[in-house]
Amino acid sequence: MSVADLQRAHPASHIHPAPQGFISKYIFSLDHKVIAVQYFITSGLFFVLAGLLAELVRVQLTQPHNNFLDAATFNEAFTVHGSAMVWLVAIPVLTGGFGNLIMPLQIGARDVAFPWLNMLSFWLFPPAGILLFGSFLLGAPQAGWTEYPPVSVLASPGTSMWCAAIFLIGISSTITGLNFLVTIIKMRAPGMTWTRMPLFVWASAVTAFLNFIATANLSISLAVLFIQRTFHVPFYDPVHGGSPVLWQHMFWFYSHPAVYIMILPAFGIVSEILPTMVRRPIFGYKAIAYSSVAITLVSFMVWAHHMFTSGLAQWIQLPFMIMTMAVAIPTGVKVFSWVATLWGGRIRFTTPLLFVLGFLSTFTLGGITGVFLGSVPADVHEHGTYFIVAHLHYVLFGGSIFGLFAGLYYWWPKMTGRMLDETLGKFHFWLMFVSFNATFFPMHWLGLLGMPRRVATYDPAFHGTNLFVSISAFVLGASMLIFAYNALRSARRGKPAGPNPWGGRTLEWMIPSPPPYYNFKELPVVLSGPYDYGKPLPYLNVDPAIMQLADAPAY
Amino acid sequence: MSKQPEEFRLDAGFWKATGLLGVISILLMIGVVTFPINSVLREASSASLPIDFLFRFMAFFSVPIIVFVNGYIIYFAIRYRRRKDEPMGSVGSSIHDHRVLENTWTIIPCVLMVVLGVLSYLAMPQYYLRGKDSAATIEAIGHTFYFEFRYPGLNHSVDEDLYLPVGVPVTIDLTSAEADERLAVIHSFWVPEFRVKQDMIPGMIVPIHFTPTQIGKYHLICTEFCGVGHSEMRGHVIVVSRAAFDAWYAGQQKNGSAAGGAQTINLAAGNASNGQALFNQKCSACHNAAPFDQRKVGPGLANLFHDPAHPNLVDGKPANAKDVAWILQHGFQGPLGAMPNQQANGLSPKDIADLIAYLQTLK
Repeated sequence: MSVADLQRAHPASHIHPAPQGFISKYIFSLDHKVIAVQYFITSGLFFVLAGLLAELVRVQLTQPHNNFLDAATFNEAFTVHGSAMVWLVAIPVLTGGFGNLIMPLQIGARDVAFPWLNMLSFWLFPPAGILLFGSFLLGAPQAGWTEYPPVSVLASPGTSMWCAAIFLIGISSTITGLNFLVTIIKMRAPGMTWTRMPLFVWASAVTAFLNFIATANLSISLAVLFIQRTFHVPFYDPVHGGSPVLWQHMFWFYSHPAVYIMILPAFGIVSEILPTMVRRPIFGYKAIAYSSVAITLVSFMVWAHHMFTSGLAQWIQLPFMIMTMAVAIPTGVKVFSWVATLWGGRIRFTTPLLFVLGFLSTFTLGGITGVFLGSVPADVHEHGTYFIVAHLHYVLFGGSIFGLFAGLYYWWPKMTGRMLDETLGKFHFWLMFVSFNATFFPMHWLGLLGMPRRVATYDPAFHGTNLFVSISAFVLGASMLIFAYNALRSARRGKPAGPNPWGGRTLEWMIPSPPPYYNFKELPVVLSGPYDYGKPLPYLNVDPAIMQLADAPAY
Repeated sequence: MSKQPEEFRLDAGFWKATGLLGVISILLMIGVVTFPINSVLREASSASLPIDFLFRFMAFFSVPIIVFVNGYIIYFAIRYRRRKDEPMGSVGSSIHDHRVLENTWTIIPCVLMVVLGVLSYLAMPQYYLRGKDSAATIEAIGHTFYFEFRYPGLNHSVDEDLYLPVGVPVTIDLTSAEADERLAVIHSFWVPEFRVKQDMIPGMIVPIHFTPTQIGKYHLICTEFCGVGHSEMRGHVIVVSRAAFDAWYAGQQKNGSAAGGAQTINLAAGNASNGQALFNQKCSACHNAAPFDQRKVGPGLANLFHDPAHPNLVDGKPANAKDVAWILQHGFQGPLGAMPNQQANGLSPKDIADLIAYLQTLK
């Protein structure tokens, strides 16, 4: 088949005209890039709100018996903080934001497979956020982001709003998962075989699979909780033959895969930035790609490791412990491969790379404490304490959020056409990295020594450590202001980026920044994988002037 | 561009860095082995030592992973930084896999995980199983927002503080209940010094089993979010010598009989047919005269004195007439609901004797 035949046979061979009106262009847009920006802005807003709630929690905990918040308000604050960070920030920004912005560009597609569904997915998201934060008006949910019954059944009316909010997010995730899976399977540029895909696309593919399969289960559990709260059908009620532990099974059957929904895209971001900044092929391409698949499959069989103190029989804890430990192996392979990528490189210390190195350092610790939590007897001591709080922030903040900022600094020029200031970015990184560790590292000790999570008052013996943690958390919050200033500043004073400021070799760098409507004038043809630094670029039908930039990065 | 495939070679600097990281790791590993856990958080039960051994094992092997990952990141970052005089587009090594290396860093973690899995299995809490050697079974009931304890042979419960004799294996049956059973929520029973934790779940009775090994006063903490009073849901476990425990227990018995006003029930004088009438009138709303599993709010009561399905409500042994009399006198807070006491049910001592005589006829 000739190249022209390949292009004609491709599902995205025809081009629709660009929309003209403001509303169809910027509000109800079908363009994946505009939808991505919508996700970034909306999640950014919720990130600020949820972050402020975390700061309220930390203000309360500066004193062992503080009257800053009453117990109910404190419970509302940490519950909405956790729910918002998971469902309104980490999941939407990593799949909806980066997935939408980058994945179609990297596979050389003109849009996702179902642009209208993509728009629908996004527009389910702001109402969910409004419902979740609006629940404060009725009395917000109080039982933590996991909302275990019976407390969540007995709690204030806001808990039903929480159910509805997360249900919408669940539907949105399922649709996006389906959309991205079809996109990646069907719409790759001619010649882009599975093993020629950039690693972020691999990450998007497995994340989409998880979103598509696991999230339906979340929606069901939430519907069931809502039905029990509203119509008193006793699913989780032991008096009438239900079981509160049933919720834990259903919730974690989704929420453990959800952990990987939040981290796999960050793995993908790291795998893109490293070779670009280190100027050499990623070490172990196949190992990194296939280990994502392994993690995805195993993630469905580990949910009960959240329930080792829930009275499960010993024989049923055993397989979950083994599967949990098995996750450590593909994860370790990834980390070691990334470190080996640094070896023998020509490393350029740009802001995205700093965030990647920060990610590697913090995520490794978070992964290791994950093994501590996988071992049943050790977990018995750690469960429900600040050790868990430390662990989950090391993987979700140290992992997902560091990955998120790495990706933002890296693809900001592609998205906006302007650079973020590098000096401010580096300052942001160092302040965030240091204050992050100062905030969350001491929590390991607090938990092991006897401080339970989700408490508004605590043993005065822990006062000094908690005060230190709180002060660090305020600095951590303040470090975000640097990014906000940098982002706003770039609109006016950011240097024009050009198509490829970092010298990337994946397809998104082969088109102008910001990308034109429909991305590729002609569909590119891919001849080999993207990471062979020093060799000619493996693309046909790409503007040769832009291609040259890959060998001459500006930063 | 080299035309020949590049060869994988490690330079002297790499080995120097590796040596340094190895030394740091070994020092930290020695620290892990010698760390005096007991002086930071006492190892006060039979579960503490096996769990702390696992902590040490995991920390021991985590240390080199953390040191080498972070150390190599820093070393490579410095060693392989782009020098000022190099062109922006200069590229690094083209080596992108190495089978021996990759197999090594896959197989070593596999081996470690298998060993850890076996060790964890061996240490897996025997305290989920009712200990054969346990000297006593104590019931612990989570309420919003305090702990209640019931000792065998005591006719009243103890709140907040759990007294245990040192060196004596105990079983604690954990559950959660409220007077209005719809309000019962999940709590958790955690004694950090014991390394023992188990959720207290409405509708479930989960036994834990351990032996306190050090005299002292320890925090008892609820670690499962249970509502607005969760932060303050704390108690103590007070481990005392055997003699001190016996003295405390005798005092509790005396208090109990003074407060409860012991009534003599002449069990021998019970009349089964009177008892049947009373059962239909007073008990059948919540109990069936049928096997254990045919429950209403409470269990079916047939074969109450012999059927092993009946939980050991009072002292860990099959129910005897005295136990049942005690329950009829004092009521019972079951996982699914509360049974009223003697006054609330309007039962005389004679009625109780009659009921027991009737229950003994149910086979």
